[in-house]
Amino acid sequence: MLAGAPAATSVSREQRAGRVGMRGIVKRHGAFTALHGIDLDIEPGEFFALLGPSGSGKTTTLRILAGLEPLNEGRVLLDGEDVTDREPGERDVAMVFQSYALYPHMSVYDNIAFPLRMIATPKDEIERAVRDAAGKVRIDHLLARRPGQLSGGQQQRCALARAIVRKPRLFLLDEPLSNLDAKLRLETRVELRKLQRALGVTTVYVTHDQEEAMTIADRVAVFMDGRIVQVGRPQDIFARPATAVVAAFIGSPPMNLLEAEVRDGALHVAGVVLHPDTPPGDDGEVTLGVRPAALRIAPTGVPARVDLLEDLGDSTIVDLDVAGHLVKLRADHHPNVKEGESVHIAFASDACHLFDRRTGVRR
Amino acid sequence: MGSGAPTFECSAGCVVMTANRVRTLALIVVAGALLAVWAFPVLWALLTSFKTERDVLAYPPSLIFEPTLSNYRDVLFGSASILPNLVSSTIVAGASTLLTLLFAVPAAYALARLALPGKRASGFYVLATQMLPPVGLIIPYYLVLQKIGALDTYAGLVVIYLTFSLPFAIWLMVSYFEDVPREMEEAALLDRAGRWRALWFVILPQVRGGIAVTTIFVFLNAWNEFLFAVVLGGNRVRPVTVAMFNFISVEQTLWAKLAAGAMLAMAPVILLGLIAQRHIVKGLTVGAVKGGGRT
Repeated sequence: MLAGAPAATSVSREQRAGRVGMRGIVKRHGAFTALHGIDLDIEPGEFFALLGPSGSGKTTTLRILAGLEPLNEGRVLLDGEDVTDREPGERDVAMVFQSYALYPHMSVYDNIAFPLRMIATPKDEIERAVRDAAGKVRIDHLLARRPGQLSGGQQQRCALARAIVRKPRLFLLDEPLSNLDAKLRLETRVELRKLQRALGVTTVYVTHDQEEAMTIADRVAVFMDGRIVQVGRPQDIFARPATAVVAAFIGSPPMNLLEAEVRDGALHVAGVVLHPDTPPGDDGEVTLGVRPAALRIAPTGVPARVDLLEDLGDSTIVDLDVAGHLVKLRADHHPNVKEGESVHIAFASDACHLFDRRTGVRR
Repeated sequence: MGSGAPTFECSAGCVVMTANRVRTLALIVVAGALLAVWAFPVLWALLTSFKTERDVLAYPPSLIFEPTLSNYRDVLFGSASILPNLVSSTIVAGASTLLTLLFAVPAAYALARLALPGKRASGFYVLATQMLPPVGLIIPYYLVLQKIGALDTYAGLVVIYLTFSLPFAIWLMVSYFEDVPREMEEAALLDRAGRWRALWFVILPQVRGGIAVTTIFVFLNAWNEFLFAVVLGGNRVRPVTVAMFNFISVEQTLWAKLAAGAMLAMAPVILLGLIAQRHIVKGLTVGAVKGGGRT
């Protein structure tokens, strides 16, 4: 929306482009530290996901961005302006809550009109904006109803319409799809992405669903225990996870992690010595990570036993026992093995991810 | 049902229907009996209010008599008119209710929402004042009001009523405010409503049931109050409960006039109860089920 506007004529609009900066955000609840110094930069127009397991601090980060949660240290910047001490209503951001938080005593129309009425918008302008926003999320035929008379999906759209109606510089979405059933979730995910592209508004999206984050976002920040452990494009995080924990969190099924050791430039895993193309680095204990799809059944390699075959139709997940550890292998075809059979597995040298066993950090 | 060869479905259906009917009948009988016990004094007073004093004392009591409106005429416009007392009651109860709501609603909102230091303790002490027996407070209240010259004044009596109604109203309202999801308020804040407009446009409409219940309870308590009114009131401030008491004297009790006065004093109470019936029942069950009190 703003990207195409000529810079010279739209200074004020450029200022409201929706650039987010978070600097050293620390949040404590008594003795417990929820966020240990969060640093984040989000570009205008970006669809940015905060991904992490529950309790990792992603929702707290979003709420701090909205101004709903006080912080102990750090600054929040919007378009270069320090808004740390601004009230939520003074930040020009809109939020869709996990529970939608619709106003139950108002009609859908009044719900969507509410943010505009609060800034004394002329009546005919409100009418136009509400119909426009409702049309964009396809609930313009439900305007007279109360939220209680809507289905879950329609309520979700109503919450979205209320957020987009006033054209904020920033959308904050807190697990907006988690209350929808699986099918609707997939459909809405796509629509949400399209809507965001069409509006061009910077969007920060909180989710614990790695698949959702990977498919919808331009960039992802992975949260673990109140810290951002990795920021990057989904494909980069998938290809080069920064830590073993991220590796185990991303992908479906996630990356296999095996205990291994580097000795004299060779990799020792489950009693087998491997010689990767690139030197594995200094001697020491490591965690070896391999994606399920990078594994294949081969005549030689690491010995394994087939525990279970999960036929997904277009592909098969093979559960393998490798020296007492569960390893998952994903095959595009139906592999010619039986449950209980002893096999060998192999993988390309460049499919190896090595993490320091102690720190978990990528080597 | 027993005759002929009823099909299986029919016989089962008939049994169920009969069982239902028997249960309904039993319920009606029990409810009727309870209602009769409750309504008897009210109905008796209603009948008495239309009798002459002579008919009242007739033994055995006569159910068939010539009704008269003279008691109402005397009570309203006679020498012992309770009209000024009804006005007095209205002022006391109305002012108590208004002031209670004015303070209780924001206080309950704050207790339910804001992270105030000592919130839990203050919540307890708000309720603790309800545990004192009112009789024990009469003498200190009397002395205090006497010292500041507030005996037999509306301000004095209303302030005393506030000491009881405020804690009760706050305690009642807090549960309603707590039932409103926090996110809804946050949504309003993000929609640039600010705290006051969020309270007004988003929160209060959702606790209006609670406000109705609180209004009724507080109004009725003040309207029906006798003990404080008779001690702390006087010639200027004499609510209808006290005025009715004057129909009972050492020499005689004017039963018919007392009954007529009681009917007039009850009328607003019953009217209010009927209007707000739905809210009261809902209010008494609020909190039983999470979110069950709201619609």
